[in-house]
Amino acid sequence: MKFTWAIWAGLALAALPALGHHSFASEFDTTKPITVTGAITKVEWTNPHTWFYVEGKDETGKQTTWSFEGAAPSLLIRRGIIKTTLKVGDSVVIEGFRAKDASTVSSSTFVTFPDGKKLRIGVVGGPSDE
Amino acid sequence: MKRVSIWTGVLALATVLIPLSAAAQNATAPAATAIPRMPDGKADLSGVWEPPFVNDMSKNGKNQQGAGPLPYTEWAKAHLGDPSDSQAHCLPPGYTRALNAPFPIEILQRPDRVVILYENNNIFHVIFTDGRGHAKDLDPLWAGNSIGKWDGDTLEVDTIGFNEKTVLDTRGDPHSDQLHVIEHFRRTDATHIAYDVTIEDPKAYTRPWKNVRTFTLMPNWNLMEFSCEENNKDVTEGHIK
Repeated sequence: MKFTWAIWAGLALAALPALGHHSFASEFDTTKPITVTGAITKVEWTNPHTWFYVEGKDETGKQTTWSFEGAAPSLLIRRGIIKTTLKVGDSVVIEGFRAKDASTVSSSTFVTFPDGKKLRIGVVGGPSDE
Repeated sequence: MKRVSIWTGVLALATVLIPLSAAAQNATAPAATAIPRMPDGKADLSGVWEPPFVNDMSKNGKNQQGAGPLPYTEWAKAHLGDPSDSQAHCLPPGYTRALNAPFPIEILQRPDRVVILYENNNIFHVIFTDGRGHAKDLDPLWAGNSIGKWDGDTLEVDTIGFNEKTVLDTRGDPHSDQLHVIEHFRRTDATHIAYDVTIEDPKAYTRPWKNVRTFTLMPNWNLMEFSCEENNKDVTEGHIK
């Protein structure tokens, strides 16, 4: 399992990220990674993208509610991630790339739970760079 | 006695030819299984397929071979990076981009047509294979007008009649209303389709160029719902224009 994630993480670094739905570069900046540690406050299990809201701190210590865009529900379901996998109140570390406009919006890549379970929830960085 | 000897000859010939035929198929189909066929003998493309996600048709990727640097005309250079993005606004993504997306497709085949269902935006496209030509006096279309013909086990699809409201790929490679798309679908074995798409557009490109892909059969997958307007906050909240 860990080996698999190592491969995906490597691909995430190597691949040019792109969204299926719209141009990644039109909204996000791959030179601005973000890691937020906090708790999930809202999940929008919707098309064309899922959205995960996390109240917590980024790596600079800034505290706010951050929003992370995720892959479409159908793509997540095929990875075994369902509507109740990420729940309000869950403690998480969520990673992604920041919006170009330096807002609190980001494109997600991975979420990690306290037990170490790591899931690819984003549209970028996967085996087929979804 | 003479009749017996003729049938003996036929049997002997069949004994030689049938294994040869099987060997020939094995040579072109790496998988051990033969390709499924329609009652009319045509190769059957039906099934749910996972095409590769092609963000940029010029570049190589998993299960796809890019065209290399694209031969843009001055018109295309002027339209590169156009801010308009039909798919981001939940309008039709365009013919090539619908298939470029990271979502599966389902192909339904009949003797007179092949239908592609796209999970992406839950749209469909009909390719007529009944011998008709392109429709006359076409209004410019989001996904064009397609006719197909079989050449052995290869389906060739010819599509024209496009508007200029879409782009070819997520990166935003432009096309004009002179776009002519030629595709080949060939089921190479039980679980793969060899696919290629050639882009001809004299207004946007100085020469035709081609992208080559492999589709993989996903027998346990079904297409799922995709309602683009449900929560398109990238646009409704003004993240993108």
